[in-house]
Amino acid sequence: MALKNNVYYKKFLKEPWSYTAGAVVLAALNIGMFASTGKPWGVTSPFATWAAKIYQSMGGHPETWAYFKSAANAEALKNSIWLDLHSVSDIGIIFGALLATLLASQFKIKKIKSVRQVIAAILGGLLMGYGARIAFGCNIGALFSGVASMSLHGWVYMIFIFLGAWAGSKLLVKYFM
Amino acid sequence: MAELRLDCLGEACPVPLLKTQKKMEGMKVGDILVVEIDHSCAMKNVPEWARKEGHNVEIEEVDDGQWEIYIEKTK
Repeated sequence: MALKNNVYYKKFLKEPWSYTAGAVVLAALNIGMFASTGKPWGVTSPFATWAAKIYQSMGGHPETWAYFKSAANAEALKNSIWLDLHSVSDIGIIFGALLATLLASQFKIKKIKSVRQVIAAILGGLLMGYGARIAFGCNIGALFSGVASMSLHGWVYMIFIFLGAWAGSKLLVKYFM
Repeated sequence: MAELRLDCLGEACPVPLLKTQKKMEGMKVGDILVVEIDHSCAMKNVPEWARKEGHNVEIEEVDDGQWEIYIEKTK
């Protein structure tokens, strides 16, 4: 029997997992990360650090900015990204996603459909990136890890991300569909 | 019993689902909509929505990372 028809291959590698299975795996991994490193999972902080490092390499001085004066951000900027837990986990996510899509035989370079789609992607990316920095985290660092740490800010974040998603979907339907 | 196609290739969530919902509104009972997608999360939320609405759904992988979702409008 060909591998692509194997029932376990289909169940574990080919077909999408249920939301429940995904939630349980994410929770277990976050607990594991917290237990082994003392930090819960986060995603977006390294993006600011990476961009600041690129800016430094071009002669800029992001280390003088208020954001990079905070102890944790200053340290992340000074050290190699390989010493930063979340930088390493972000790189792991990218390669893990590539591996998953290759194992499922679903890798595909997607075409860009329209200029409008490009504008929507850039605007969406800028808004999410800006929001994630002024909120000190994204739906992982602020929401998922926040709620799991029994912090109230995670729940506040949840209310407002729903409002933001509602407003964003209205804009999407109105201008980009 | 018309068969309509909806090209959602290159579109990310939630656009395929929103387009499918809009297109299905204007269709008659018995009509079939073929939604072309290449975004794996749409392969989950489009059939899920259509089944919840009570329509008949079939998914076919037509190429690596590309699918056609057949939705028959039942009501």
